[in-house]
Amino acid sequence: MREELQSLREDALREVLSAIDLPALEAVRVGLVGRSGRLTRLSEQMRHVSAEDRPEIGKLLHAVRATITSALEERLSVLQAAAEEASLSIIDPTLPGVSRRVGSQHPLQVLEKRVVGIFRRMGFALAEGPDIETEWHCFDALNTPPDHPARNEQDTFYLPDGRLLRTHTSSVQIRTMENQPPPVRIIAPGAAYRRDEVDATHLAQFTQMEGLYVDQDVTLGDLKGTLEYFFRELFGPDTKVRFRPHFFPFTEPSYEIDVRAAALGGGERWLELAGCGMVDPAVFEQINTRRGDRAFDPDKVSGFAFGFGLERLAMILFGVSDIRMFVENDQRFLAQFPA
Amino acid sequence: MKISLDWLKEYVALPASPDDLSARLTDGGTEVVGRARIGDVPAKVVVAQILSREQHPNADRLSVCQVDDGSGHPRQIVCGAKNFQVGDKVPLALPGAVLGADFKIKSGKLRGVVSDGMMCSAKELGLAEDAEGLLILPPESAVGVELRALFQPDEVFELEVTPNRPDLLGYWGVAREIGALLGNSVQRPVVSLPEERPAGSAVTLEDPSCPFYTARIIRGVKVGPSPEWLRQRLEAVGLRSINNIVDITNFVLQETGQPLHAFDLAKLGQCVVVRSAKEGETMVALDGTNVQLTERDLVIADQDRPVAIAGIMGGVETGVSEGTTDVLLESAWFAPSRIRKSSRELGLATDSSYRFERRVDPLGVKVASARATDLILELAGGTADPQLLVAGEIPPNGATVSFDPARCRALLGLAISDVEMEDVLRRLGLEPTGRDWNVPSYRADLTREVDLIEEVIRLVGIDRVPAQLRGFPAAVGVADVRYDNAQKLRERLRAQGFSEARTSHFVSAQSLPDSALGLDHVLSIRNPLGAEQAMLRPSLMTGLLEAAAHNLRHGVADVRLFELGLVFARGEREESTNLALVTTGLRDAVNWQEGALESDLADVKGVIASVLGGIDVEERGEKGLMLRLRGRGYEGTLLRLSRAQCERIGAKSPVIFAELSVDALLDAPAPTVRVTPLPRFPAVDRDLSLLLSGSTDFAQLRQSIQSSRIPHLQNVELKDVFTDSTGGKIAADQRSLTVTLTFRDAGRTLTAEEVDRAVQSLCDHLKSELGAVLRS
Repeated sequence: MREELQSLREDALREVLSAIDLPALEAVRVGLVGRSGRLTRLSEQMRHVSAEDRPEIGKLLHAVRATITSALEERLSVLQAAAEEASLSIIDPTLPGVSRRVGSQHPLQVLEKRVVGIFRRMGFALAEGPDIETEWHCFDALNTPPDHPARNEQDTFYLPDGRLLRTHTSSVQIRTMENQPPPVRIIAPGAAYRRDEVDATHLAQFTQMEGLYVDQDVTLGDLKGTLEYFFRELFGPDTKVRFRPHFFPFTEPSYEIDVRAAALGGGERWLELAGCGMVDPAVFEQINTRRGDRAFDPDKVSGFAFGFGLERLAMILFGVSDIRMFVENDQRFLAQFPA
Repeated sequence: MKISLDWLKEYVALPASPDDLSARLTDGGTEVVGRARIGDVPAKVVVAQILSREQHPNADRLSVCQVDDGSGHPRQIVCGAKNFQVGDKVPLALPGAVLGADFKIKSGKLRGVVSDGMMCSAKELGLAEDAEGLLILPPESAVGVELRALFQPDEVFELEVTPNRPDLLGYWGVAREIGALLGNSVQRPVVSLPEERPAGSAVTLEDPSCPFYTARIIRGVKVGPSPEWLRQRLEAVGLRSINNIVDITNFVLQETGQPLHAFDLAKLGQCVVVRSAKEGETMVALDGTNVQLTERDLVIADQDRPVAIAGIMGGVETGVSEGTTDVLLESAWFAPSRIRKSSRELGLATDSSYRFERRVDPLGVKVASARATDLILELAGGTADPQLLVAGEIPPNGATVSFDPARCRALLGLAISDVEMEDVLRRLGLEPTGRDWNVPSYRADLTREVDLIEEVIRLVGIDRVPAQLRGFPAAVGVADVRYDNAQKLRERLRAQGFSEARTSHFVSAQSLPDSALGLDHVLSIRNPLGAEQAMLRPSLMTGLLEAAAHNLRHGVADVRLFELGLVFARGEREESTNLALVTTGLRDAVNWQEGALESDLADVKGVIASVLGGIDVEERGEKGLMLRLRGRGYEGTLLRLSRAQCERIGAKSPVIFAELSVDALLDAPAPTVRVTPLPRFPAVDRDLSLLLSGSTDFAQLRQSIQSSRIPHLQNVELKDVFTDSTGGKIAADQRSLTVTLTFRDAGRTLTAEEVDRAVQSLCDHLKSELGAVLRS
C-alpha cells in the first residue's frame, strides 16, 4: 500500500504536468480523484489496512492527496491563464470606441456664460425685460430727447400700436428700477433691434449685455474698478482698459471703453467694446415720477450703467469674420464650440 | 468734422506732434477717427509757365504746350486739361517724379507727340481730395522753384463730435476746446459788430422756429475766383471752391460753426419772410434738384415764393453768380428740431443743416455775419450798409448752474481740491457768480450740476480716479432661476447630441404654418426691413427648419439642433420662451457595433422625456404623425414633417420637429430632494409577449395594463416590437409587443405562485379588453 501510494504520487505529478490544456487536465483529474479515480480507489482500500499500520498509511494517504490536489490546482490556474490569453487574441482593442456624440454650444452662449459668470462672482443678479417695449421705457425714461434720431422710423422697428422693439437692453435698467428700490445690482443679457441692413458686420437683431449698479455712494471709481476687473477676468491679466469720454443721453459722465489685450489679437490696437457712465439724475427722476416715491432720489443714491454687444465681442474673441455666421447655425461652425 | 491742423494753428498753439494732439482730443471726449496727410508735394515737381498752347494733331481732347521750367530751354508737354491759358503758372512733374504711391513720370509719346513730363491738378499732387483741372499757381510764383517749397504739409483730422457738443463744429470752437485742454490761449481774428437797426417790414418772422434773423446788405461786390489761400483752406477739408462770395460764407461757417447764406439782392423781391412752406410749393435748390415742399418745412421767402429752405439749402434763382453785384447776407438762428425734421423728410443733409439741427450759438449769429462782411469787403470789394438789419430776439442762452464741490468729489470718488475744479471750469469759459457758475452761450449742454461734474472729470481725466471694487451678495431673483434652469436644459440637450442654434426673431408671413391660430394672433412690424422680416415669430419652427435646410444644403446630412428662445404672440403673455428641436439623418455618430440608427419620433420623444423629466400626457393629433405632449412645466407638439415639407428643406431622410413651451419649467426653482427608503425585498420580472391587432397602439396597451389593478405590479416597460409583413411568423395585420412587468411588495418577498397568478389574471384582462393573445 505504501509503495502503491508513493508510486501514484510520482505518476500523478507527471501526468498533471503533462496535461497541455484544460480538457486534458480534467481527464487527468477524473483519472486520479474522480469517483473511480486511482487515488479514490486506493483510499477505499484503507479499510483493509491493519489497525497498527492505519495511522501511518492514513497520514501518507492524506499527504499524497494534498500533493495531488495542489498540483491540479496549480496546473489549472496556469492553463486557465493561458486559455484566457489565447481568447484575448481574437479581440481587437484598437477598434474605435463607441461613444455618444455630444452637441455644441452656440458661440454667443459661450461668451454670455463667461460674462454672466464673472459678474455673478461680483454679486450681480440677473434681470429681464420685454423685447417689445414702450417708447417711454426705451427712450423717454432714458432721457432721450423727443426728436432724437434713434427714435426715427428709419432706425427703430415699430409695432402698429406705437410700441417698438427695444433698440438697446438699457430699457431693462428702467424695468428693474420701477420694480425694485435700491440697492440694485443687475446684469441683463438680451436681444436688441435696429433697422440696419444686414451685412458682414450688422444684424437687425443682435445681443447686448446690460449692467446697472445703484446704491448710496456709488462713484465713478466703482464703475472703473468693476469694469476693469471684468475685462481683466475676461481677457487675462495683461488687459489694458481705457475709458474715453463720450456722450450718451442716459449717463453723465459717459465713457466708451477701449480694450487692448493679447487675447484680442490686434496687438497695439485699442478696440472699442462697451459704453458706460454714471446714471444721469434725469433718469432717476423719471423713475421716481413713475414709482410715485423718492426711492431713487439723486441726492441720496447714485449709480453706474454699462452695456456692450456680444456679437462684436465674440467676433473679435473667436476670430469670426462675418456676423451672419451667428444666425446661420451651420453645424460645422457650431462644432467648434464644444460643450 | 474735418479739421486742417495748418488752419487750426492760426487760432491756437498746437502740440508739436499731431499724435499728442490726437491723444489729447480723444482723451477729452472728441475722438479723432481719421487722419490724413496732405500737402506732401512730391519731389521733382516745379513751377512752370505756359509759353504756348496748340491743338494736338491726333487727339481732339489734348493740347500740346511749350512751357518754361526755369532751365532756359522750353519743354514740350501734352496735356488734357482745359482750365488754363498761356501765361499761367502751373505745377509740372518732371520725368523721375513719383506721384501718389507709385505713379512714376517718364518722357514718352502721347498719340505720337513727345511729352516730357506732366502738368498736375491739386488732386494729383495730394493737395486736395477733389479738384478738376490744373492747379493754377499765383502769378508771383517763381518759375523753376520746387513746389514743395511753396506748400506747407498739412494734416487733416476727422473728429467725431458727439451730439451734445455742437460748439465743436467750427474751428474757433475746436481751438477753444484745445485751449481748455492744454491751457493755451486762443487768438481769434478781431471782429467788430456793426450798429443794428430793426428790419421792420423788410424781414418778417412768421414762424416761431425762427426767433432771430439778421441781414446785411453789401453793394458793389465783384464776384470772381477766390484767392489761393482761401481755395486751399476749403479744399483741405474737402470743399470745392465756387466763387469768392460763396467761398467766404463756407469759410466763415467752418470758422465759427454758424451757417450763412448770401442772396443776390437783385433777384430777391422787396422783402424777406421766414415762414412755413405752403403745401405744394416747390423750389429749385442750389444742387439743381426741384424740391417739393410741405408745411413741415421752414422757408425763407420773398413776397412771392420761397427762395431758400431755411437752414438747409438756398435756391438757385437767388444764388450768387458771376453777375451778382449786391448781396444780402443772411445769418440767423433756427430751432434745431424743426431743421432736423425738415432735413430728414427732404432727404437733404448739408453742412448747414448739420449745425442748425444740433443748435448754433445764439451769440455767434451776429459775429459770423460781421466776420463774413469783413472778408467780403476785403476780397470782393463793395460797400456794406453800416447797419445790420435785425428781426426778432436772440434766443435764451447761457444758463446759471449751481455747483457743489463736495458733491462732485462724492460722485467721482476722487479727492480733488475746490481750486482745481474752479480752474477747470474757468478754462472752459465758465464764470463764477456767487456759488453758481455762468455758462457761456455756446455750451447749451451745461444746464445741471452733473453736467459740470462731467466737465471736471473730462478735463482732469479718469486716470486720476482710484479704481474701487466692491461686492455684496446678490439675492437670487426670478431671472436667476430662469437663467440657471435654461443652462441646465442646454447642458442636457447637448448631452443628447443636440447643438444650440439661434435664429432670427423676424419671419415672413408666408413662412408661418397655415394651421396655426391664423395671422391675427401674430405680431407684425409696422416698418419692417422687408416682407421676409415682417412678423415677430410665433414659433421657432421657421428659423429652425431654415437652419436645418442650411446644413443640408452645405452637405451636413445629419442635423440635430435645438433652440431655446423667445416667441411672440398677441394676448396676455406676448413674449414666452419655447424649446424646439429638429433632427434628420443619423441620430448619432456612425457606430460599428450597433449600426447606424436614423433619428425618428422615438428618438426625439426619448430625448424630450429624459431632458424634461418625463412625459405625463400624450395625445395623437388628428392627422399626420403628430403628438401633443405635456409634462411637468411644459407642453407642446412632436411631429414628423410631411413629405412636401421635407422636400422644401431638401431633406431626404425623415425630419422630426418638436416645439414645447417651457416657461413654467424655467420659472420653477430647483426642487428640494427628499429621499425615499430603498426597497428591502427583491422584485420579480416577467416578460410577456402579446399578439395584438395592428390598430391597437401601445398607449392603449399601457392604459389597459394600468387599469387592470393587478396586485404588486410596479412597472411596465416595452421590451420588443415584432411584426412580419409576410405573415410567416405572425399575421401581417398583427403586432407582437413584449413587455417586461416588474412585481414587488415592500414588506416581503413575493412567491412565484402569486406572481404567476397575477400574470394570469392580467392576461385574462388584456384578452377581454384588447383581444390580446399570449404568444408562446
